[in-house]
Amino acid sequence: MTHKFLSNQGMASLVAKLIAAKTRVIAPVRAKDDPSQLDYQLIQSFDEAAFGVRLPRRSLKEFFLPPTEVLFHYRQTKTGVEIREVPTIAPPQVIFGATPCDVAALETVDKVMSWDYRDELWFGRRDATTIVTFLCSVMDSTCFCTAVGLGPESFTGSDVLLVPVAGGYLAHLVTERGEALLQSHGAEASEDTVARAETLCSEARSKVEPNLPVIPAEFAGWLASNFDNPVWKTVALRCHGCGACASVCPTCHCFDIVDEHESADEGVRRRNWDSCQTSQFTLHASGHNPRQSQSERFRQRIQHKFSIYPSRFGEILCTGCGRCSRSCPGGMDLPKLLGELVTLAQTEPEVSGQ
Amino acid sequence: MSNEVEHLVESQWSPKVVAFVCNWCTYTGADLAGTSRLKMEPNVRVIKLPCSSRVNPLFIIKAFERGADGVIVSGCHTGDCHYSTGNYHARRRFAILHDLLQFMGVEEDRVTFAWVSASEGNKWQQVVNETTARVKELGRFSVLQEHESGELR
Amino acid sequence: MKELQDLARKLLSDGSVNVVIGYEAGPRGVRPAFITAPEQAPNLVFNIHCVQNLATYLNPRRKQITQLGKAAVVVKGCDARAVAGMLREKQIERGNVVIIAVRCGGVLQNPETDSELTKETASVRCASCTVREPKLFDHIVGELPPEPPVNTHRVEQITALERMSSAERWNFWTEQLSRCIRCHACREACPMCFCVKCTAEKTQPQWIDPSATPRANRAWQTMRVLHQAGRCVDCLECERACPEHIPLGLLARYVADAVERRFDFTASDDPSVAAPIGVYCTDDDEEFIR
Repeated sequence: MTHKFLSNQGMASLVAKLIAAKTRVIAPVRAKDDPSQLDYQLIQSFDEAAFGVRLPRRSLKEFFLPPTEVLFHYRQTKTGVEIREVPTIAPPQVIFGATPCDVAALETVDKVMSWDYRDELWFGRRDATTIVTFLCSVMDSTCFCTAVGLGPESFTGSDVLLVPVAGGYLAHLVTERGEALLQSHGAEASEDTVARAETLCSEARSKVEPNLPVIPAEFAGWLASNFDNPVWKTVALRCHGCGACASVCPTCHCFDIVDEHESADEGVRRRNWDSCQTSQFTLHASGHNPRQSQSERFRQRIQHKFSIYPSRFGEILCTGCGRCSRSCPGGMDLPKLLGELVTLAQTEPEVSGQ
Repeated sequence: MSNEVEHLVESQWSPKVVAFVCNWCTYTGADLAGTSRLKMEPNVRVIKLPCSSRVNPLFIIKAFERGADGVIVSGCHTGDCHYSTGNYHARRRFAILHDLLQFMGVEEDRVTFAWVSASEGNKWQQVVNETTARVKELGRFSVLQEHESGELR
Repeated sequence: MKELQDLARKLLSDGSVNVVIGYEAGPRGVRPAFITAPEQAPNLVFNIHCVQNLATYLNPRRKQITQLGKAAVVVKGCDARAVAGMLREKQIERGNVVIIAVRCGGVLQNPETDSELTKETASVRCASCTVREPKLFDHIVGELPPEPPVNTHRVEQITALERMSSAERWNFWTEQLSRCIRCHACREACPMCFCVKCTAEKTQPQWIDPSATPRANRAWQTMRVLHQAGRCVDCLECERACPEHIPLGLLARYVADAVERRFDFTASDDPSVAAPIGVYCTDDDEEFIR
């Protein structure tokens, strides 16, 4: 991996060039309905971007898996059904100013999206996107990226990682795509700058580490053998099953498929965000529901993210961004809860429950 | 569509109005208007229901979603409901719906509520013609243009 | 507060209830508490951060809670109205719940960031509160605090909306609802949304498209608030739950005002008072009808 020094001026001109070349540029901007909040949005000029203010309310997921998207149009004709598919090649885009937790999530979800078949809509957008991440400086007490094997300085998922230093940024060119982006920008970085950046990275790390210790590798196994542990009956009493957590989560990716008619013979097939927390998620056509109460549904959330996904894909389906906890109307707090479950796992490691 | 054709289509645009009417009063009144050969604008599609209280606000919303530019809801005068109290219940429901639709930006003239009795063929004619004229003036209902949200944010 | 904690301890010790649903301190401020043992009673708190409407947890379909046994629930006046609503609509039986009312002086609009009750920080719904001393209870605790400062922000927003043209209002709601992702968190957090099968989930026919398109979002929000007419207690849980920060409270308040204006009715904490949609007066206004 190589470094470059990118001045503030240099970054502004890089973004301006991209916009002028009609490349979509997505950056955190102040939300119109509440300027104290940030949203990732398409920008038309560099001034719209607001870096290093706070974690944007929603994750980057929606730029790769929108809340609703058309899969194809259909039309019934006298001779059959005409299907008109949607394009899977997306226009080029650059995400500027993402946080490490948000971009790591994209790589994590890539695994399920390429598991039994390649999701062309997801990868069409992934392939068209270059990601420039900033060293995170907006952590709070609900963040726990370090506990899940990441960190505010993590490179995972980035093409370029920018660390703010005097006068600009130290740019880590993580991938070839990142190198290509900064080909005609930036200058050689001095050793001092590189050292300074390293210090800033460890300082950032030390701000998140106290929030939650690293989740031990054995936790996944404990979860798998403690499916019937009585703890599940009481751990989610305050959970409404609203699914707000899943909607703001950068790694949640479940979707529902629906057909919507426009007229008697025309319509679209769409996929829409869905969540295992809703009561109907596992409702069978027969009327039977294997996850009848919120305890079971919440158990599923933890099992999937911290046991099932890791056993299948080798990664925890969580990047420690903390949005689930910040958005929960019922007061559920994931880092706290994980701490309690890990403690339980360590004090009662044997199989428990009937 | 070419500009010329689009312009031609637009200038010939005529609103689609859907009317939810009760079987006992308004439908009969509308029938009377027809047999009396009263001149009425041809824009109204009539949907017959047993009673005005059968009208679920969803019907009105769905009508707009599926291409209606205006909606008429009509039943018996209060006190004359074939089912005694249906229209009293409906009146309450419609009152809130009427207020809420306006609050959400639907022009008041797009939805017309009326009591038209079986003998009021003339009144039906008036309701149809005036509603059509008002909706024509308001123009197309915008929700159709908004349906596709395939755009990335 | 001690009176509440002592009461909870007593109810749990003498077996009157198996669980006390109240408020406790959590990692992110006050959160709902489910106290099942007398020793846990000191966890209970009541203060200006207690915004949650705990009546929602009485929903009989929340099996993980009903299996704990008989519940006592801590309610503010607004929450008591929700309990009354659930009783009125036969979702719960009066004998199956112990209601602990708390005399309330208002709560914060943003309990996670503010700590003092002022004109700017008080919840907008406290401005119109008439039930600071709830009348529906088995036990009532606390001293009646002074009236909360009046936060007029929402009234101003609604007035501003009413002054706009139709087109401006249409655009306002189109923009606000463009963020709706149809997660239905508003519905799940609402104490009065307890239908086993919501209108939006019906598929034969599909009255409300489930996708997050502008027109379907509009249909969903319009119908939800309409179904709340006369039932909504203005607890603002819908707005608080919304992960997209859509100002649903504006819709809730507007419909509640319309119901009050037209039918002289406000959501009541008396279960025997009939809700306005479902009854009628022969002389209801019909000026809007030709």
